[in-house]
Amino acid sequence: MTDPGRPDQAVIVDRGYRHYEGERTGRRGAMRAIVREGFRRVIGLRRKTKHKLFPWSLIALALASVVIVVAIVWVSSSVIGSDAADDLIPRYAGYFDFISVVALLFTAYCGPQLLVPDRTHGVLNVYFSRPLSATDYLVAKGGAYAAVIYSYWLVPQLLLHLGLAALSPDGFITYLRDTTDILWKVPLAATVYFALHASLIFLASSFINRVGAATSVFLAGIYGLNLVALFFQEAITTPGARWATLVALEQHPRHIRDWIFDRSSDVVIPAQAGFGPGVSLAVVCGVVAASVGLVWWRYRRLA
Amino acid sequence: MRPRESELVTEHRTTPEAGAPIIETGGLHKHYGNIRALEDVDLDVRPGVTGLIGANGAGKTTLIRILLGLTRPTAGEVSVFGVPVSQDPAGLRARIGYMPENKCLPLDQTAADFVAYAAELAGIPSAEARRRSSETLFLVGLHEERFRYLGDFSTGMQQRVKLAQSIVHDPELVLLDEPASGLDPTGRERMLRLIARFREFGISVLFSSHILDDIERTCDWVLMLHEGRLIHSAPLDPPTEGSQVSLEVFGDPQPLIADLVSRGVSPSVEGTVITVEGLDTDGFVLVRDALASSGASVRRMGAGLSRLEDVLESATRVRHD
Repeated sequence: MTDPGRPDQAVIVDRGYRHYEGERTGRRGAMRAIVREGFRRVIGLRRKTKHKLFPWSLIALALASVVIVVAIVWVSSSVIGSDAADDLIPRYAGYFDFISVVALLFTAYCGPQLLVPDRTHGVLNVYFSRPLSATDYLVAKGGAYAAVIYSYWLVPQLLLHLGLAALSPDGFITYLRDTTDILWKVPLAATVYFALHASLIFLASSFINRVGAATSVFLAGIYGLNLVALFFQEAITTPGARWATLVALEQHPRHIRDWIFDRSSDVVIPAQAGFGPGVSLAVVCGVVAASVGLVWWRYRRLA
Repeated sequence: MRPRESELVTEHRTTPEAGAPIIETGGLHKHYGNIRALEDVDLDVRPGVTGLIGANGAGKTTLIRILLGLTRPTAGEVSVFGVPVSQDPAGLRARIGYMPENKCLPLDQTAADFVAYAAELAGIPSAEARRRSSETLFLVGLHEERFRYLGDFSTGMQQRVKLAQSIVHDPELVLLDEPASGLDPTGRERMLRLIARFREFGISVLFSSHILDDIERTCDWVLMLHEGRLIHSAPLDPPTEGSQVSLEVFGDPQPLIADLVSRGVSPSVEGTVITVEGLDTDGFVLVRDALASSGASVRRMGAGLSRLEDVLESATRVRHD
């Protein structure tokens, strides 16, 4: 027979309810929480394994591409000579192209993950019952998206920079000192890519209630518009047709990137149609403004 | 005065009678085009557990959304804790908890993570949010399951997580929109017991439901909405323990009535429903004995059969007449 008085057999059956009178972090704290939770959701942290597979595969691809580029630099510089290798290997600006398909896939995957489940699972009811506005919510989600995407663009670029510095015949420190412009050019170019892609994927994710469908619409739109622009460029000879090439939205960040890195933009559709990088910048700004407006309008109605 | 943070609270924070109104509305209207969701609603809700009852489409959810500052009224005034909702909706929402009727859970998160996140969204710092998440899930009976993913939870467990997220940030008022919907009888019973406990935690409750029995068992006060209008606002007397018994019988009630009269009782009869009141002894024992000796069969029996049903019926009848 058990002894009911023995302390090692005691069981807490009711701990009651504890009130809270400590600090409250307000809207800023709530927005920080959304950024952190959004970051976790996108890369599958604190989720089942199946949620980690796709994002981590793309992250691994991006990092592997850096290793490949640095390895090629090492092999080619020792076999062909450093000057010859310079022309063959994608450096900072070229690296944007080198991983563009993978990066676009990652971009297309992240946006819907941040917005669609909150809407389809009804979690917006919880967000908007807290001291948050629709604007706070969207700004915080944008912050989470920026944290993920900038990491995706910039961490491989940083590793590339360090790798190239390590292999430089001038020495590690000298290379870093001679390439300080990279420290603003790469983030600036990444910002242009981020702004355009984020606004478009958020737009798709705001109106489409399935993650896969939003991703597909974004990718189909980006590449489909390239084909439309090529059609107008190649097949239509009327004077106004060149303006239609501006629908090649995916090409504008490349055009601006080449402007930032002071490179030739011969293969970029808007440049081939005779438009300068300023026009591409105006198109990017216009698309971003229109998309942000539509997304905000949509969430004001949902809140 | 509210207890210190470290104390466990089991006593009343405020009493329903003593406190000032926590919710007040005056001439509240909400129209969606030609649809009149709320029509000239004047409310005065005191602290305690208040039931908001009405059929589907009566305006309950619209009223709750207006109280949260998520929907603007077409006309009229509304204030919570004495503060006009339009003046500081975000500030008020920090003091209010809300359990939506519909789904609101991210199925790929664990219960502990989600409830902690809900606390952080209300401004509780991260470490404290995790502590409170654990405590609140213990309170709703999900401590063992707190690291399971919400997608693996049953409907009843999901309802309890929804309840947990509504109180994790220590609100002064919680708005519960049909909290027992979709639950089996055991789950419903458990949910109602939990809600009734909020009174002892000093958390006021506005509890929306279209199930009269849930309101009768849980609430101190009842508000009744019908087609957007407030048709009833009154306290709910606690069920009379043994001094009043109502029962409905199958077939002819006369043998039972005769038996009750022979025992010195004057029952009131309406069809097959018999009510016995004003007893000195335990009414249930008396009625049990009368049933046994008369051989009558009981359809249902209780300490007053759905008093709200009578109120709702008469109120809607008056409006339609």
